[in-house]
Formats: sequence, C-alpha cells, structure tokens
Amino acid sequence: MDIPRGNIIVMDRRRGKLRVGQGLIQGLKVVWDHWAGSFHKNENFSQIHGTFTVEYPDERLPLPQTYRNMPVLLYDDESGHELCTGCYQCQRICPPQVIHITQAKDPVTGKMVPAATEFIIEYDACMSCGFCAEVCPFDSIKMDHVYELSTADRVSLTMRKAQLNRPISYYASIAPDLWAEVQAGAMKKLQGSIKRRPDVIGLAAVLTEKIKARRLELAAAAAAAPAAAAPAPAAPAAPAAKLTPEEKAAKLAAMKATNANKGVAAPPAKAPVELSPADAKAAKLAAIKAANAAKQAGAAAPPAEVPAELPPTDAKAAKLAAIKAANAAKKAAEQGNSE
Amino acid sequence: MLKTEELQINIGPQHPSTHGVFRMLVTVDGETITDLKPVFGYLHRNHEQLAEMNTYQQNMPYTDRLDYFNAMANNHAYAIAVEKLVGIEVPERAEYIRVLMVELTRILNHAGALGFLINDMGAWQTQLAFGMREREKILDLFESASGARLMCNYFRFGGVARDLPADFMPRLKDLLLAMPGFVDEMERLLRENEILLQRSEGIGILPQELALAYSVTGPVLRGSGVAYDIRKAEPYSIYDRFDFDVPVGSVGDVYDRILVRIEEMRQSKRIIEQIIEQLPDAQGGYMNPKARQNVRPPVGDVYARVETPKGELGFYLVSDGSTKPYRYKVRAPSFINLTPLGDMCRGYKVADVVVILGSIDIVMGEVDR
Repeated sequence: MDIPRGNIIVMDRRRGKLRVGQGLIQGLKVVWDHWAGSFHKNENFSQIHGTFTVEYPDERLPLPQTYRNMPVLLYDDESGHELCTGCYQCQRICPPQVIHITQAKDPVTGKMVPAATEFIIEYDACMSCGFCAEVCPFDSIKMDHVYELSTADRVSLTMRKAQLNRPISYYASIAPDLWAEVQAGAMKKLQGSIKRRPDVIGLAAVLTEKIKARRLELAAAAAAAPAAAAPAPAAPAAPAAKLTPEEKAAKLAAMKATNANKGVAAPPAKAPVELSPADAKAAKLAAIKAANAAKQAGAAAPPAEVPAELPPTDAKAAKLAAIKAANAAKKAAEQGNSE
Repeated sequence: MLKTEELQINIGPQHPSTHGVFRMLVTVDGETITDLKPVFGYLHRNHEQLAEMNTYQQNMPYTDRLDYFNAMANNHAYAIAVEKLVGIEVPERAEYIRVLMVELTRILNHAGALGFLINDMGAWQTQLAFGMREREKILDLFESASGARLMCNYFRFGGVARDLPADFMPRLKDLLLAMPGFVDEMERLLRENEILLQRSEGIGILPQELALAYSVTGPVLRGSGVAYDIRKAEPYSIYDRFDFDVPVGSVGDVYDRILVRIEEMRQSKRIIEQIIEQLPDAQGGYMNPKARQNVRPPVGDVYARVETPKGELGFYLVSDGSTKPYRYKVRAPSFINLTPLGDMCRGYKVADVVVILGSIDIVMGEVDR
C-alpha cells in the first residue's frame, strides 16, 4: 500500500541490547530524573523537568485575557448607564437557554424602550460557551474571569441584573486588549444606532468620551442660553390644528434658525438628542403632524426642497427625507385617484 | 481435567478503570474470560435529539462535550460538515490554525491516553503525571487562544472564533523544543519495561480481518496493521500539504497500540513544525468575513469525517432548509472501537480486561451521546 507524502512505518517490536531487568532500571532512571528535577521550579515550556504546579489558594496562575467563565453585564462607570438594550440576541443564541430578559417599557405609552428591566442568567446551567458575548451588538455582555463560584445553595446561582452588573472599568482591567478591540470595532458594529441615539442606546465603548463631552456641552448650552433653547420646543407644540404647507415651511425655517442660534451644527436628524425627553416627544409629535399635513397636501409637499439646503454630510438623512416625502406624495396621489 | 462452573461478574458501571460509567458483563471460567458483553448507555445525554432542537450554530459548543478530551477535533468535524452543507469557504490562515489545534489535540490525547493505560496497569500515576504535564502545557495554549481549556468552542463556520494571541507562537515553539524529549523519555520508560511487556505483549490481539469487519478506526486499527488514516486516505482541510508518516503495528496487541500512539505524537509534532513554517501572516484573516454563523443550509444531506486522535469522527447532517438540522448523527470513534471488546478479551485473563479497555482509549461522553 502506498500513501501520498509519507511512508508507512511498521513499528519495531524488537528489544534493544538491554538485558533482563535493565528496561526496568532505565524506566526508574526516568522517574529518578523527575524526582531530582522536582526541587527546582520550571518556568519555561521548553523544559521537561521541574515543578510546574503552584500552590493554588495562595498562588494563582495569571489568566489569559480571552479566558471566559461566566457572562456579566457592563455599565458605564460614571453615569451608571447600562449598555444592554434588551435586544434578545443573547437570549436567542444561548444554547442551554439560560438567559431571560424583560424588556423595559415606557410607563406612559407602553412602548418598548431600549433597556432591560430584568436580566436573569442561570449560572448553574450556563455552559460558558461565550456565544452571548460574541453576538452582543452593544458589547454589553462579556465573559467574566471569576471562577470561584461554588456554593451550597443552587438557587443563589440564578443571577439577577443587580448581581450581574459590572462597571466597564472592571472589564477593561481584566481584558485590556479585548476592550481596546471592542472600542476599535464598536462604531462599525453599531452603524447608525449610536449616531442617532447615543444617550439611549448602549455602547458607551468608543463613545464614552464623546458622550461625556456632549453631555458637558449640552449642560453648558442649557445653562448659557435657556431663553434661546426655550422657543424651539414651544413652537412645534403650540399649533394643534392641521398645518398648511406654508405654515410648515415657516416652522422649519424657525427651527433651523434656532439651531443656528445655538451654534451647534446639528442636522435635523440629530435634533432630538439635544432635547430633554419631554421636548423630544413634542418634537416627534410635531414631525408626525407635519408628515400628515404633507400627505394631505398632496404631491407638491415642501419637504422635497429641504434636503437641498443641508450640508453634504447629511446626504443620507436628506435622501431618507426625500424618499419619505415621495412615499407620502404617492400615497396622497393614490388617495386622490381612489376618491 | 477438573470441571469448573462459569461465573458472570459485572465490571462497572462504577469502576475506576472503566473510564466513566461503562459496564462490562464478563463471563469467566476461573480466571479466563469466556465471554464479555459491553453494556453502555449510562451516560446518555440525548445529544443527537438535542442537536435537532438547536440551530446549527448552537450545536458547536455541544460537540465539545462529545469527546471532552479532544474538543478541538470534534469542533473541526462539525465545522467541516456544516461548511460542506452550506458551501462556506475557509481562509488559509484559519485552516492552518485549525490543523495546528487538532494536531496539538492529538498529542495531548495520546499523552493522556497512554498515561491512563499505564495507570490501569497499576503504575499508579507515574506515566500519567508526566503525560498530564505535557497536556497541561497544551491546554494552556488552548486557553490563551480560545478562552477555555477543555470546552474550547473555538471553531466557527468559515474560520475560528478569534486569531491566535501574540504570545501563542513563542510558547508553542518552546513546547516543541520540549516535545522530543518528552516523547523519548516516555519511550524509555515504557518500551522495554519488563512489567509493561508482561502486561501488554500478546494481550488483546485484534486481528486485521476482525478489525476491518468491526470497522474499527484510529490507532486501534493501525495497531492491527492496517495503514488507514483519513488524513491520508481522504485528505480533508489542508492535510495534503504536509509530510507525515503513518505508523502501523504488526500483531495488533496492546503493545502495538502503545507504540503506534507514541509514534503518532512524533508525526503530529512534524506536522506542527510544517504549520509553523507555512502559517500565513495575520492578514490572511482567521475568519471568512462573508460567512454567516446562523446558517440556513439548502435542503440536502452531508457526511463529513475527520481523523480524531481516537479514530474516524463523522457528522451526518440532514437539512430541511431551516436553521435547525433535521437529522444530526454522530459516528463516534470510541463507540465503534468499543464494539469488538468482547472478541479482544475472549481467552485472556480477567486482569487483562482493564488493560485492553484502556488500550482502546475510549471517552464515555462520546460512546453514549
């Protein structure tokens, strides 16, 4: 028989030149060498003699950064903002199905909010595969390095959110390289989500600094010009009646003017971020109302001309607005036809 | 001649030398074994049914738990099966990392298996401690690469979970420096040791025809003198790029299996040296960026097999077009290798049973799935 790139070796069963009993002595020599070697410590992989072991509870070997034991949740050190948005990705992928998430809901509207009110991991059934940490798009679930979890009480291994929460600085201290990797890849991973809602949606990773700066900026702006900021939300909130296209255009112009006054080059898409929650709601309401008005007005809705005035960085937002306007126009036209 | 009465005894399921919960129903006539019936199923974990309820992706960590000594090799077989089914390409560097891990697995398995075999013979812990020490070094490498020592869960469809850490290669090279010394030392300790020869020479002979008839694979088959290694017979992954020899035995007894395992460790070291030479740099990518993990393979079936340290591990997957396998079948080497145990033990003394069982090198996690 022939095999490619190699030979067949038939193992040699013949004895060497050893006499009876010498084989045993040869073996004992090996054992002796190990015994003699056991008096010095072996620090190097290239040595076969010497002591490798450490006296465990007193000494511990350093763990590699990639080491994974049990999953924990991360939160931002300063703000306490939890990175988890309750997207259920980890719950879905978990092979033994030990992750249970309760999505947070807005008490007023009953709509889902990107946060988790409760997050349970059954540590006793977790198989430490690390899939949850791998799929998490917000890098909020990470594998901990703590391995001394033994307890006589099984129920205590069902971990709730309060027990799972760890500050980001903790994870950065046990796995600095991995955290640096996360920070480098965060923007790409999250794509638009952070841009749109950095304060709400998780991942402070790459944006921790940016968010901090932004918060300071906002606070400063709010303190410096409360009067200037006030009219912005007031304007859209006031008119309850349906807007005519002319009125709407006027409003848009007003909003732009206030933005310019504030000295922030914020495009319309980013506007809600700067507003307090109540204001954001009002603005949203106004936007919806505006869209309705556009629908009713028909094909010649003014939003189509707005994108042209925006800076090139917002090409995407402009495109989106244009598409929306076109859709609304189409709908209006259809309605007209059916009537 | 004195008329004697046959006696049935149970070895196991709870017995330190049965490598898990395995029961042997032995019929003895005095000291001589007239019949042996392997009884397994005590460690049944519903592996295959469980896998059919999980997605393809979720099954990867479960394959670790088949043969928990060689998690990387199991991962490899499963990854190849799914990649074949879906049609995912694996980048060069990932292939090299995979083969590197699998060959390290082979070394640690044989180091451990021989240690346990010698342990079963009564040399309490001597060889086992030496073997475990080498295994420990390799497990350290696994831990630094994958994050876990045993349940590595390192392979993904289209690559591996993450690239090798920076300190991996220097440590691997250190390890390879020590490796020949370790294997030679092991051979010095075992090869001509009179006690070992007494216990292993001519014991548990599995003739070639019988081995083939039972479709035994791995070192047990090669110990019986059949030069069959899937890495050579049907090269998967990138095994056609490496030079290595296939050691075979001539008699098919326990001693041959020991010698084959010792030589296989040397050959694995040869492969690892070639990998270090050929390994593409980190730009090669450890993961196919287009590969999706939550795969939805087209309707069809696939059988993929690899040569794990214990023999042929195969995964038979049937896809009905959903994200979960319709059928998931494991062809486990330990299970198939265990079936001729009765024929191997017949006619030998009852004290040889544990030695013969140890020479097959089983892991019960794989026998009962």
